[in-house]
Amino acid sequence: MSSGRSDLMLGVCAFIGFIGLWSLISQFELVPQRFLPLPWKVVSALYGMLVERNFIEDIWISVARVWSAFLLSVVMAVPIGMWMSNYRIVGTLIEPIVDFIRYLPVPALVPLLIIWFGIGEASKIAVLWMGTFFQLVLLIADDTKRVPREFIEIGYTLGAKPRQITRDIVLKSMLPSMIDNLRITLGWCWTWIIVAEIVAANSGIGHAIWSMRRFVKTPEVMAGILTVGIIGLVTDQAIRLLHRRYFRYL
Amino acid sequence: MDHGTPFLRVAGVTKIFEAEDASHAPIQVIDNVSMDLTAGELAVYLGPSGCGKTTLMRIVGGLETATHGEVFLAGRKVTGPDRQKGMVFQAYTSFPWLTVLENIRFGTKYRTDINGAEKDEIARHYLDLVGLAEFANFYVNRISGGMRQRVAIARTLAAGPDILLMDEPFGALDAQTREFLQYQLLEINRVEKKAVIFVTHDVEEAVFLADRIFMFSARPATIIEEITVGDYISGERTMTTKETEAFFHLRNHVRDLMRDQARATEETLAAALRPEEAGE
Repeated sequence: MSSGRSDLMLGVCAFIGFIGLWSLISQFELVPQRFLPLPWKVVSALYGMLVERNFIEDIWISVARVWSAFLLSVVMAVPIGMWMSNYRIVGTLIEPIVDFIRYLPVPALVPLLIIWFGIGEASKIAVLWMGTFFQLVLLIADDTKRVPREFIEIGYTLGAKPRQITRDIVLKSMLPSMIDNLRITLGWCWTWIIVAEIVAANSGIGHAIWSMRRFVKTPEVMAGILTVGIIGLVTDQAIRLLHRRYFRYL
Repeated sequence: MDHGTPFLRVAGVTKIFEAEDASHAPIQVIDNVSMDLTAGELAVYLGPSGCGKTTLMRIVGGLETATHGEVFLAGRKVTGPDRQKGMVFQAYTSFPWLTVLENIRFGTKYRTDINGAEKDEIARHYLDLVGLAEFANFYVNRISGGMRQRVAIARTLAAGPDILLMDEPFGALDAQTREFLQYQLLEINRVEKKAVIFVTHDVEEAVFLADRIFMFSARPATIIEEITVGDYISGERTMTTKETEAFFHLRNHVRDLMRDQARATEETLAAALRPEEAGE
């Protein structure tokens, strides 16, 4: 589509403009280069980290933490969210607790989670899980509620059993909005993983950023941040692409 | 028409909706309604909006339970929804994630009496019957509202129901499409010979479609008149039936009945509002 292509062109132009502005500010020292290094210095810092400091391992560790915690959240939130919306009693029981926990700021929970789970992998997973599960479960319950009641009644009058209705109608109907919500929640995971790794970790992107800060290596710190941004962008675009491919009817 | 054992028997059905909380009184929507239907007959439930005719249809379909009374279909008591009682709603219910043909085939998905090849054949048959062969591979949100309702009808028929329950299925469509689909429904009914209950508040639609019209009162619904349309309008219904004098007379008669009931509905509403005003 031509409008899609011109949208892409605009996006690219804006990005180039942003890099250009950054270069100018840094080149003419409107901000000291100690604080705002030139873009290419950030890129070469990233290259150096990858080659000399085994940064790729940190990346994999963070990616693995994010995905395992995220998948754990999803596996729990999808059925529980659907139950909450299908059975009023489940909703009534769970919703107040979920609402309470979901308003707790995740960073405030980090110290407690470290006391409970130590500084190993379990506490990272717990932080991410706390930060996503309680939001996701309500989003899923909402998606389920938005499935038209008539769709379900049609299912019954075509001879479907409740489990078949859930599988063939409810899930199919809510899938596009559910995938959108998962994509957004996955983004939050990246916020919480960096928080968790900065507070207590000896590996991962967050830890790398924090240790570079100690030596005021601004290009390396920015390279770490850039990495998170790139991973986020790539994942997001990949899911969007799949969304468009798979839900062509929308 | 065979007037032996009725195909559908609604026996003394009453429906009372309990209020969500104790501060509201329960609402009686249907008051002791009985009616029979023979196989292949097209019955229209006609009545003012909100009178309870849809609720009665849903009770026949097993989607609601009667507070008192029973419904029997083909000799068996109705206890819940199943494939024997097909539904078509006013809202578009064709599934957006499926194409036209896939939607129609979905109607056969839970049938165990036929195999996969037969299911394909049935889906094709009903696709042709509703005249959507050209659109077989279109997703349903790429086609018009009238077409979506034809998909819904075909899907319901593909499930092989004993009776077709239609709740204002053409209510959201424009006048031309509506008229065309009414005509198409009569043709389908001639071919399929299925019993149909068609709910509407449109007098002209009722007179044009019905073998028998069940005229409902304002809430709580009772049947105030049962009209066998064949006694007034003879012969097959065609595109020109609506222009005949016989159609005109019957329509006027039914419209007068409707007006009385609509007035009664408004009076009930006004009476319900009055104590509130006095209380303030």
